[in-house]
Amino acid sequence: MNRRTAALLLAAALLAALLAATAVAPPYLSVPVPERAYLGPFEAPPFGLDERGVPLHEIALQGAAIVTVPAILSGLLVMVLATFAGLVRCAGIGWVDGVIQVGSELVGALPRLVVVLVVALLLPKEWKVLLPIGLAWAVLAAPGAMDEAAAYAGRIGGARFVEALRAHGFSRWRIYGYHVIWLNLRPVIVRQGAEVTMQVVFLEIALSYLALRQNEPSFTHADSEFSWASLLYKGYTALLGVPLLHALWLGLALVAAVAILAQSVRYAARAR
Amino acid sequence: MVVALALPLVVPAIITAVLWLLPGDPAEIICPPEICDGTEALAASFGLDKGPAQFYLRWITSAARGELGNSWRIMQGFPVAELIWESLPTTALLALMALVPLTFGGVAAALGWLSSRLDAVWQAVGLAPAVILALVCAAFVEINFGARSYDGVAGWLRLGLGAGVLALADGALAATVMGTRASFEEEVKQRYIQIARLRGESAVANALPNLLPALVGQTRARVLHILSGTVVVEVVLGIPGLGELLFDGTLAQDFGVVLAATWAFSLLSALLLLGQAGVEVAVALWVRRAPRLAELPA
Amino acid sequence: MSVQTPSTARWLPALGLACVVLLAGSTVAYYDEALPSTLNPMFARTMVDRRSQELVFDRLFYRSAITNELKSNLVTEFEHLEGNTKLKVTLREGVKWHDGKSFGPADVCFTVEALLNSPSEVARDFAESLVGCESIPRERAAVITFSKAFHNARERAAFSVLPKHHFKSSTLQPHAEFSSRPVGTGPMRAVRHKREVRFNAFPNAHHNPKISEMSLSEGLDPYVQVKTLLNGGVQGLVAVSPPHRPEVAASDDVALKSYDLRSWWFVALNPSTPALADRRVRQAINATLDRTVLRELTIGVDPGDSNPPCEFVSGPFVQSSPYYNRSVKVAERSDRSKARALMREAGATMEAGRWVWGGAPVALRIGMNSPLNVEARDLLNQIGNQLQAGGFDSQVYKVNADDWVQKAVTGRLIDQYDALVGKWSFGVVEEVNQMFHSRDGAGRGAFNIFNYDNAEVDQILQRYTAARTDTEAQDAYHDLHALLAVDLPYLFLWKLDTKSAWRNEVRNNTISPFYYFTEFDGWRL
Repeated sequence: MNRRTAALLLAAALLAALLAATAVAPPYLSVPVPERAYLGPFEAPPFGLDERGVPLHEIALQGAAIVTVPAILSGLLVMVLATFAGLVRCAGIGWVDGVIQVGSELVGALPRLVVVLVVALLLPKEWKVLLPIGLAWAVLAAPGAMDEAAAYAGRIGGARFVEALRAHGFSRWRIYGYHVIWLNLRPVIVRQGAEVTMQVVFLEIALSYLALRQNEPSFTHADSEFSWASLLYKGYTALLGVPLLHALWLGLALVAAVAILAQSVRYAARAR
Repeated sequence: MVVALALPLVVPAIITAVLWLLPGDPAEIICPPEICDGTEALAASFGLDKGPAQFYLRWITSAARGELGNSWRIMQGFPVAELIWESLPTTALLALMALVPLTFGGVAAALGWLSSRLDAVWQAVGLAPAVILALVCAAFVEINFGARSYDGVAGWLRLGLGAGVLALADGALAATVMGTRASFEEEVKQRYIQIARLRGESAVANALPNLLPALVGQTRARVLHILSGTVVVEVVLGIPGLGELLFDGTLAQDFGVVLAATWAFSLLSALLLLGQAGVEVAVALWVRRAPRLAELPA
Repeated sequence: MSVQTPSTARWLPALGLACVVLLAGSTVAYYDEALPSTLNPMFARTMVDRRSQELVFDRLFYRSAITNELKSNLVTEFEHLEGNTKLKVTLREGVKWHDGKSFGPADVCFTVEALLNSPSEVARDFAESLVGCESIPRERAAVITFSKAFHNARERAAFSVLPKHHFKSSTLQPHAEFSSRPVGTGPMRAVRHKREVRFNAFPNAHHNPKISEMSLSEGLDPYVQVKTLLNGGVQGLVAVSPPHRPEVAASDDVALKSYDLRSWWFVALNPSTPALADRRVRQAINATLDRTVLRELTIGVDPGDSNPPCEFVSGPFVQSSPYYNRSVKVAERSDRSKARALMREAGATMEAGRWVWGGAPVALRIGMNSPLNVEARDLLNQIGNQLQAGGFDSQVYKVNADDWVQKAVTGRLIDQYDALVGKWSFGVVEEVNQMFHSRDGAGRGAFNIFNYDNAEVDQILQRYTAARTDTEAQDAYHDLHALLAVDLPYLFLWKLDTKSAWRNEVRNNTISPFYYFTEFDGWRL
């Protein structure tokens, strides 16, 4: 088994785990059992209990349910936009290319989290889910991805590359679908998609953590649910002396799993 | 250049549109008519009674004079301009301090002082999200200095740690090191560099002017990335900067503050864009003034 | 279960720093639940506002925390005139405002005018009772005119006095600079900064504060607050969250003190929701909730505790109030069979474990004032879980503090929620009229969260308003209590004792009910 296959299998396994976690996530946490508060993973497997005796694995499952689908959809959006930019460069449609450039400059000129905060402000309470915020983040990240994809398409020859392949008798569908996207743009767009997916997960953790810290309603999920940020918040109190280090390790492990997933996808999709 | 000039005008326009799109009358948020008689007077004093276009024009012309009104909610009655002037230097200092390791990293990568074997280290560190690094740093400061330690050594430590988080987290340092090295490695393969080497000149010194626009563009992107991260870092570490101000204003729907803070960010972005354009123009002029081949001595 | 204590060595620098702070000057730092939204008493919205403003302003009359009698720092003599419809107050000489100007009867009359003209909830409260004011400079007196004869006229004039010379008109606006840099006659002068409020002592003819500086910061994480207090980083916490009280109580350097907020917790029900318009459905929901379990899981009260900090209530008063009707018993435990019987009587049917009423499942959107989560962890979800288990679909939402104050209490969330979990706190005048009177154009029912409308309740409230003696007032409110316990526009939960914690260095710190710092002149280091 070569490294690429190993990376692909690892990515598939992590993605399957996230999707499975999403599917089995409980809608509500268990009733607290104060007498069993702070128990570690050995006394209360698999991951121990929090300060109220609630199992940490339930929080991990709910957190996965909050982030998985919106993050994947946001990554897919970036991939679609980057693909579009690359195809436009290959097609040599100058005015579209120009519009994309100008739009990219404008959208890319503002700090992303600033814009995302304003988007969060606009959302009505029924829309407090991660998806609109994730898609907004994807739109803000798209200019960079589109730039890179267009630049890559330009390096392989752009319209001349397409012309050359047409001269060989290949159909447009085959040229754009296989030669341009699959053989050449794939590493770029998959990498960008994987990065944005990872960034959206981290964005959710950051926004939820900020809301928790300020004792505010969540921006990204229903108040009956608990995000991975709750684990990190418990972990923060552990650093100050509360016996919840097992919550911190679990939170860090989940973050690491997402990062490894993104890197594995990126590695598996890189150019030969 | 056009974008740089448009940004400080477009951003407040978008925020104004957001203000009017939200359900309810902004003046009613402060003075609900059910229990408050002066909603109309309040609306007039905030300029909310004549519609979004008038509000925007009034705000932008006042902002050009440095008058940003008073805070509506988070510090009622306090001039927003004072809040911005207090916060802006802190955020600017935080961003500059974060740029230091990034600049050193870029220079070291360009000069070949950083081995590419270390790239995996930068990438691994860069995988950590800013919020996690920031909360570890916040815990460190609180354990050693107490929770209310904002002045003196503790204050500087918060700034320093915040800058470190911004530089390391979310792949900032990794992207700088690897991006700069890749740019230089690509450029030194060019024929003119090989000729310069034959003449005994430095490859980096010859490549730098040509790469400068690209490097400045990359730096601008880094700074934007850092400014984006300041929101999280400032709130978690308790640094009283523009990001924290914007976050508090957003939570409280204090549009006086949100408008001013986002406008301040857009001004910073516009300045960066202008800086980049200036460098590009300067390089172009410098290249234009380089001697022609025909003028070189035989 | 006790919390593991970190090694001492890590906290020593903080302790050292705290000692330096203490020795450098008599600065007392304390945490409150938030920073005040305004220091202008005309626009006070939250308890934090009121506590902070108590340091900066004098109320014309106040109730002593020590003797419980009505007193005044500003008034030397008072006289009821024209059958209690007027109150003549003679003012103390030598009192200065924080900017050095002299205090006089014109300021009292200006404040009355401002209460009548300004757009604020506080003004609306007082404006119901006040009609006007006449200044008599030669006697250093002011005559306040009321709308009618009140049995508690001085309490109706217990407003904070504002400086006339500081304003251009008596129609005050909330966003003026006065909200951050106020000028009062209180023991401390205040300036609001972004991260704290700084108070500096202002000795006066009527105040002699012994603490020269105070600093109020917003306490965020309760655990960090307690640790900072125990290590001397701050000298006080206004409110210690229940799970941390044992740790504070165990410390020899800190004293836990009661802070009487006369507050009670509730779940307001929206009668405009079709199912909740039926009283029997409201009673069924009431019977579904198990208050004992809620209290145990969210506040941490042991059911066997003989002296719990959290006392159930059956109506809109705390048990220690003279208005509390002791014949109305509390439903401490759920009664599912009673709930089922009531729902069936109301015409509901149980389908797949869910109540269906009027052809639709009974689904409740429940909101809660977000800061309450610090005192009662996860209360919102536990209420949702209990109702869910009882067959009522629930969706829960936190309402941020700002939206609560601006929208929830003023009845502007009526279309968004079916139930709201909150807490009311009462000052000197323990009056609930504004919560239960039907909302009308005359300003009554201003805090009627879901526009509850019951003619019988309105009549009782008008009896209270018309009462000329304490006994009449108490009888009216006893009847109100009994009626509300049956009609249930609110589900009444409990009164949770608020405990403050102060380091022993701060001596003689008498904490006044509601306003906290009324007896601040006696505080010393």
